Amino acid sequence: MKIIKAIYNFIVGDMIILIGVALAVAVLALVNNVSALAPLRGFSGPFLIIAVLSSLVATLSREAFSPNR
Amino acid sequence: MQWVVATAAFLASAVEFVEAFTIVLVVGVTVNWRSALLGALAAAATLALLVATLGTAIVQWVPLDVLRTVIGTLLLLFGLKWLKNAIMRYAGLKARHDEEAIYEETRAQLRARGAVDASASRFDLFGFLLSYKSVLLEGLEVAFIVITFGLSAATSTVSRSSGIASAALGALAAGLLVILVGALVRVPLAKVPENTLKFVVGIMLTTFGTFWTGEGFGVAWPLSDVFLLILAAIYLGAAFSLIVWLKRVKQQQRAQVIENQSAPTTVQTQEVNP
Repeated sequence: MKIIKAIYNFIVGDMIILIGVALAVAVLALVNNVSALAPLRGFSGPFLIIAVLSSLVATLSREAFSPNR
Repeated sequence: MQWVVATAAFLASAVEFVEAFTIVLVVGVTVNWRSALLGALAAAATLALLVATLGTAIVQWVPLDVLRTVIGTLLLLFGLKWLKNAIMRYAGLKARHDEEAIYEETRAQLRARGAVDASASRFDLFGFLLSYKSVLLEGLEVAFIVITFGLSAATSTVSRSSGIASAALGALAAGLLVILVGALVRVPLAKVPENTLKFVVGIMLTTFGTFWTGEGFGVAWPLSDVFLLILAAIYLGAAFSLIVWLKRVKQQQRAQVIENQSAPTTVQTQEVNP
């Protein structure tokens, strides 16, 4: 458990960023592999950029409005 | 030589080496230089071994598309972490890295332990381990960036090796520069604009991470590699907007706290003077 936590802290250390990027990658994998979702493939690039920016905004909002600050 | 890769590795390494240098300097001054330098050299050798073995293994065994997706995702995570911290420091939500404070704090700890005289040249295990640990921990991030950046910047097996070599050269140049400047001034390198460097590297890692993750999923970016500049401009614009917004939020929060603190005083004054 300690090792997993150390790796998590080393690579990202932020749950919102981790979940945001993981969700984006999962959606891209679905869009790329499910043939029914093929028409959405053209939006993969913009979707990824928006997902990255949303994760950044979400984690910074949490930091700014945290009651512990 | 891949200059973008080398520059990114140089900037990221410079920040980390400045942080590691502070601890090595404290150990050198407080314990002795022999233990400090041996610890730093041992850590550098460990890191070089790590880059060489991991880099070579990945170059030989992992297909390029898988590599780009996995490494692009890792770079995104890493880049967003650096960018978030740099934005928070610019906005005043997080304290800036203070090398002089770290220097004094570590020195006080070593003095409390009894290690005061640096003139003794005998090997000190504690000093060696402290120096080794700090260089290794700070250097691990550099090794990570060297491997991931070096591998993803290329298109074939041969140039993948050259990507790692370019990144390693960038990191080596940063290390030598920090050691050279540090040896000349012999004080913590407090004037290095660490946050600016972290901000730039955060933008670069996030940009390349997005680009390579997208390519790994078959995204055909418009204008091909030129789109990297557009991506960097998008992230730069967003980061500046976020800094301005967070500064405003902080000012509002501060004003609200002052208002809350002064409110009871006003009421009391009114009660005394009706």
